[in-house]
Amino acid sequence: MEARVMSLMRRGAVTCTENMSVREVAQIMVVNRIYYCVVVNEDHEVLGVISARSILRGFGMDLDRTKAGDILLHYTVTITPRSPLKEAINLMCRRKIEHLIVVSDHPGSKTILGLLHAEDIVARMATE
Amino acid sequence: MEGTTRVCDLMHKGVVFCRPEDNLKEVAGIMKENGLRSVVVMHESGEVWGLISLLEIIRFYGEDLEGISAESVMQPYKIHVDPQWPIERSIELMKKRRIEHLIIVDPHAGPKRPIGLLSSYDIVRYMAHIPSGQFEHMLRLHTANP
Repeated sequence: MEARVMSLMRRGAVTCTENMSVREVAQIMVVNRIYYCVVVNEDHEVLGVISARSILRGFGMDLDRTKAGDILLHYTVTITPRSPLKEAINLMCRRKIEHLIVVSDHPGSKTILGLLHAEDIVARMATE
Repeated sequence: MEGTTRVCDLMHKGVVFCRPEDNLKEVAGIMKENGLRSVVVMHESGEVWGLISLLEIIRFYGEDLEGISAESVMQPYKIHVDPQWPIERSIELMKKRRIEHLIIVDPHAGPKRPIGLLSSYDIVRYMAHIPSGQFEHMLRLHTANP
Protein backbone atom coordinates (compact mmCIF):
# COMPACT_ATOMS: atom_id res chain seq x y z
CA MET A 1 0.00 0.00 0.00
CA GLU A 2 1.26 3.46 -0.82
CA ALA A 3 2.85 5.22 2.16
CA ARG A 4 1.24 8.46 3.21
CA VAL A 5 2.56 11.56 4.96
CA MET A 6 0.68 10.68 8.17
CA SER A 7 2.83 7.57 8.59
CA LEU A 8 6.00 9.62 9.09
CA MET A 9 4.97 13.11 10.16
CA ARG A 10 5.72 14.35 13.64
CA ARG A 11 2.57 15.64 15.26
CA GLY A 12 2.73 19.15 16.67
CA ALA A 13 5.45 21.70 16.01
CA VAL A 14 7.54 24.19 17.91
CA THR A 15 6.30 27.64 16.96
CA CYS A 16 7.13 31.28 17.54
CA THR A 17 5.33 34.53 16.78
CA GLU A 18 6.42 37.27 14.40
CA ASN A 19 6.91 39.74 17.27
CA MET A 20 9.55 37.66 19.02
CA SER A 21 13.15 38.82 18.67
CA VAL A 22 15.55 36.86 16.48
CA ARG A 23 17.57 36.08 19.63
CA GLU A 24 14.50 34.51 21.24
CA VAL A 25 13.81 32.42 18.14
CA ALA A 26 17.45 31.27 18.07
CA GLN A 27 17.13 30.27 21.73
CA ILE A 28 13.90 28.37 21.05
CA MET A 29 15.67 26.46 18.28
CA VAL A 30 18.67 25.60 20.45
CA VAL A 31 16.66 24.62 23.52
CA ASN A 32 14.41 22.37 21.42
CA ARG A 33 17.25 21.14 19.21
CA ILE A 34 15.38 22.05 16.01
CA TYR A 35 16.61 23.48 12.72
CA TYR A 36 13.33 25.05 11.80
CA CYS A 37 10.73 27.12 13.65
CA VAL A 38 7.22 27.75 12.35
CA VAL A 39 5.96 31.31 12.71
CA VAL A 40 2.25 31.55 13.57
CA ASN A 41 -0.25 34.29 14.30
CA GLU A 42 -2.56 34.53 17.31
CA ASP A 43 -5.01 32.08 15.73
CA HIS A 44 -2.17 29.59 15.30
CA GLU A 45 -2.25 29.98 11.53
CA VAL A 46 1.04 29.54 9.69
CA LEU A 47 2.65 32.79 8.52
CA GLY A 48 6.02 31.38 7.54
CA VAL A 49 9.11 29.63 8.76
CA ILE A 50 12.52 30.50 10.13
CA SER A 51 15.32 28.07 9.38
CA ALA A 52 18.84 28.00 10.78
CA ARG A 53 19.98 29.65 7.56
CA SER A 54 17.42 32.46 7.89
CA ILE A 55 18.79 33.20 11.36
CA LEU A 56 22.20 33.77 9.74
CA ARG A 57 20.64 36.64 7.80
CA GLY A 58 20.33 38.44 11.13
CA PHE A 59 24.03 38.09 11.91
CA GLY A 60 25.55 41.49 12.57
CA MET A 61 22.16 43.06 13.36
CA ASP A 62 20.88 43.78 16.86
CA LEU A 63 19.34 40.38 17.51
CA ASP A 64 17.32 41.62 20.45
CA ARG A 65 15.61 44.29 18.34
CA THR A 66 15.27 42.50 15.01
CA LYS A 67 11.93 40.66 14.90
CA ALA A 68 11.13 37.20 13.66
CA GLY A 69 8.76 38.88 11.18
CA ASP A 70 11.75 40.67 9.59
CA ILE A 71 13.55 37.47 8.61
CA LEU A 72 10.80 34.88 8.17
CA LEU A 73 10.30 33.18 4.84
CA HIS A 74 6.66 33.63 3.89
CA TYR A 75 5.56 30.11 3.36
CA THR A 76 3.04 28.67 1.01
CA VAL A 77 4.30 25.11 0.64
CA THR A 78 2.25 22.71 2.72
CA ILE A 79 1.08 19.12 2.51
CA THR A 80 -1.78 17.19 4.05
CA PRO A 81 -1.60 13.99 6.14
CA ARG A 82 -3.34 11.88 3.49
CA SER A 83 -1.02 12.97 0.67
CA PRO A 84 1.21 10.22 -0.73
CA LEU A 85 4.70 10.34 0.80
CA LYS A 86 6.17 10.33 -2.70
CA GLU A 87 4.29 13.53 -3.52
CA ALA A 88 5.74 15.17 -0.39
CA ILE A 89 9.25 14.04 -1.33
CA ASN A 90 8.91 15.43 -4.85
CA LEU A 91 7.80 18.74 -3.34
CA MET A 92 10.75 18.82 -0.92
CA CYS A 93 13.26 18.07 -3.68
CA ARG A 94 11.73 20.57 -6.10
CA ARG A 95 11.68 23.38 -3.52
CA LYS A 96 14.96 22.28 -1.87
CA ILE A 97 13.47 22.15 1.62
CA GLU A 98 14.12 19.53 4.29
CA HIS A 99 10.87 20.06 6.22
CA LEU A 100 7.26 20.34 5.14
CA ILE A 101 4.43 21.82 7.14
CA VAL A 102 1.48 19.46 7.43
CA VAL A 103 -1.93 21.14 7.53
CA SER A 104 -5.43 19.70 7.72
CA ASP A 105 -7.31 18.51 4.63
CA HIS A 106 -9.91 21.29 4.91
CA PRO A 107 -9.62 23.61 1.90
CA GLY A 108 -7.67 26.77 2.72
CA SER A 109 -6.68 25.52 6.14
CA LYS A 110 -3.59 27.13 7.61
CA THR A 111 -3.74 25.38 10.94
CA ILE A 112 -0.61 23.35 11.48
CA LEU A 113 -0.92 19.69 12.40
CA GLY A 114 2.73 18.77 12.34
CA LEU A 115 5.91 18.57 10.30
CA LEU A 116 7.40 16.08 7.90
CA HIS A 117 11.20 15.91 8.16
CA ALA A 118 13.58 14.64 5.47
CA GLU A 119 15.68 13.02 8.20
CA ASP A 120 12.75 10.77 9.15
CA ILE A 121 12.35 9.74 5.51
CA VAL A 122 16.07 8.87 5.32
CA ALA A 123 15.79 6.88 8.57
CA ARG A 124 12.97 4.83 7.06
CA MET A 125 14.97 4.31 3.85
CA ALA A 126 17.88 2.99 5.94
CA THR A 127 15.75 0.23 7.44
CA GLU A 128 13.22 -0.70 4.74
CA MET B 1 35.67 35.23 25.65
CA GLU B 2 37.59 38.23 24.40
CA GLY B 3 38.78 38.60 20.83
CA THR B 4 37.60 37.33 17.49
CA THR B 5 35.54 34.16 17.36
CA ARG B 6 37.06 31.78 14.86
CA VAL B 7 35.69 28.84 12.92
CA CYS B 8 37.67 26.43 15.11
CA ASP B 9 35.82 27.73 18.19
CA LEU B 10 32.40 26.64 16.86
CA MET B 11 33.06 23.75 14.50
CA HIS B 12 32.54 20.07 15.27
CA LYS B 13 35.91 18.43 15.30
CA GLY B 14 36.14 15.27 13.22
CA VAL B 15 33.88 14.27 10.33
CA VAL B 16 31.56 11.35 9.76
CA PHE B 17 32.20 10.09 6.26
CA CYS B 18 31.34 7.46 3.71
CA ARG B 19 33.37 6.14 0.79
CA PRO B 20 32.54 7.00 -2.83
CA GLU B 21 31.71 3.34 -3.54
CA ASP B 22 29.30 2.96 -0.58
CA ASN B 23 25.69 2.48 -1.61
CA LEU B 24 22.85 4.81 -0.64
CA LYS B 25 21.36 2.39 1.85
CA GLU B 26 24.66 2.42 3.74
CA VAL B 27 24.82 6.21 3.58
CA ALA B 28 21.23 6.49 4.87
CA GLY B 29 22.23 4.16 7.73
CA ILE B 30 25.23 6.34 8.59
CA MET B 31 22.97 9.41 8.69
CA LYS B 32 20.37 7.67 10.82
CA GLU B 33 22.81 6.20 13.32
CA ASN B 34 24.67 9.46 13.79
CA GLY B 35 21.67 11.81 13.59
CA LEU B 36 23.27 13.74 10.72
CA ARG B 37 21.87 15.93 7.96
CA SER B 38 24.90 15.47 5.73
CA VAL B 39 27.76 13.04 5.22
CA VAL B 40 31.19 13.79 3.80
CA VAL B 41 32.25 11.58 0.91
CA MET B 42 35.92 10.86 1.45
CA HIS B 43 38.27 8.93 -0.79
CA GLU B 44 40.49 6.33 0.87
CA SER B 45 43.41 8.70 0.33
CA GLY B 46 41.78 10.97 2.93
CA GLU B 47 40.67 13.63 0.42
CA VAL B 48 37.19 15.13 0.42
CA TRP B 49 35.31 14.36 -2.77
CA GLY B 50 31.87 15.63 -1.95
CA LEU B 51 28.95 15.98 0.40
CA ILE B 52 25.62 14.15 0.53
CA SER B 53 22.68 15.85 2.21
CA LEU B 54 19.21 14.57 3.08
CA LEU B 55 17.67 15.78 -0.18
CA GLU B 56 20.19 13.84 -2.26
CA ILE B 57 18.99 10.66 -0.52
CA ILE B 58 15.21 11.11 -0.40
CA ARG B 59 15.11 11.70 -4.17
CA PHE B 60 15.61 7.95 -4.49
CA TYR B 61 12.78 6.89 -2.17
CA GLY B 62 11.27 3.65 -3.43
CA GLU B 63 14.23 2.80 -5.65
CA ASP B 64 16.92 0.14 -5.25
CA LEU B 65 19.27 2.01 -2.92
CA GLU B 66 21.84 -0.76 -2.91
CA GLY B 67 22.37 -0.22 -6.63
CA ILE B 68 23.20 3.50 -6.31
CA SER B 69 26.67 4.68 -5.24
CA ALA B 70 27.47 7.67 -3.03
CA GLU B 71 29.73 9.04 -5.74
CA SER B 72 26.89 9.14 -8.26
CA VAL B 73 24.65 11.36 -6.12
CA MET B 74 27.10 13.48 -4.09
CA GLN B 75 27.52 17.20 -4.59
CA PRO B 76 31.17 17.80 -5.49
CA TYR B 77 32.71 19.93 -2.76
CA LYS B 78 35.34 22.50 -3.61
CA ILE B 79 35.10 25.06 -0.82
CA HIS B 80 38.03 25.05 1.55
CA VAL B 81 37.54 26.73 4.90
CA ASP B 82 40.44 27.34 7.23
CA PRO B 83 39.79 26.76 10.95
CA GLN B 84 41.42 30.10 11.71
CA TRP B 85 38.96 32.12 9.64
CA PRO B 86 36.91 34.65 11.63
CA ILE B 87 33.39 33.29 12.01
CA GLU B 88 31.97 36.24 10.03
CA ARG B 89 33.81 35.08 6.92
CA SER B 90 32.29 31.61 7.13
CA ILE B 91 28.79 33.06 7.64
CA GLU B 92 29.16 35.27 4.57
CA LEU B 93 30.19 32.19 2.60
CA MET B 94 27.17 30.19 3.80
CA LYS B 95 24.83 33.05 2.92
CA LYS B 96 26.39 33.64 -0.49
CA ARG B 97 26.45 29.97 -1.49
CA ARG B 98 23.16 29.14 0.26
CA ILE B 99 24.68 26.15 2.01
CA GLU B 100 24.03 24.66 5.42
CA HIS B 101 27.39 23.01 6.05
CA LEU B 102 31.03 23.93 5.59
CA ILE B 103 33.80 21.36 5.63
CA ILE B 104 36.81 22.62 7.54
CA VAL B 105 40.16 21.51 6.19
CA ASP B 106 43.61 21.18 7.68
CA PRO B 107 45.68 24.00 6.15
CA HIS B 108 48.89 22.16 6.93
CA ALA B 109 47.91 18.86 5.35
CA GLY B 110 46.59 20.20 2.05
CA PRO B 111 43.29 21.72 0.96
CA LYS B 112 41.30 18.48 0.86
CA ARG B 113 41.94 16.97 4.32
CA PRO B 114 38.84 17.47 6.45
CA ILE B 115 39.18 18.06 10.19
CA GLY B 116 35.68 19.25 11.06
CA LEU B 117 32.27 20.53 10.05
CA LEU B 118 30.53 23.82 10.70
CA SER B 119 26.75 23.92 10.25
CA SER B 120 24.30 26.82 10.17
CA TYR B 121 22.91 25.37 13.41
CA ASP B 122 26.30 25.79 15.12
CA ILE B 123 26.10 29.48 14.24
CA VAL B 124 22.52 29.71 15.56
CA ARG B 125 23.73 28.23 18.85
CA TYR B 126 26.42 30.91 18.97
CA MET B 127 23.94 33.68 18.12
CA ALA B 128 21.42 32.44 20.69
CA HIS B 129 24.01 33.38 23.28
CA ILE B 130 22.57 31.37 26.10
CA PRO B 131 24.69 32.13 29.18
CA SER B 132 26.45 29.19 30.76
CA GLY B 133 24.13 27.37 33.15
CA GLN B 134 20.97 28.91 31.68
CA PHE B 135 20.26 26.16 29.17
CA GLU B 136 18.65 23.76 31.64
CA HIS B 137 16.65 26.63 33.13
CA MET B 138 15.27 27.58 29.70
CA LEU B 139 14.51 23.96 28.92
CA ARG B 140 12.46 23.64 32.12
CA LEU B 141 10.61 26.87 31.33
CA HIS B 142 9.78 25.66 27.86
CA THR B 143 8.62 22.28 29.06
CA ALA B 144 6.38 23.91 31.63
CA ASN B 145 4.83 26.25 29.04
CA PRO B 146 4.73 24.45 25.71
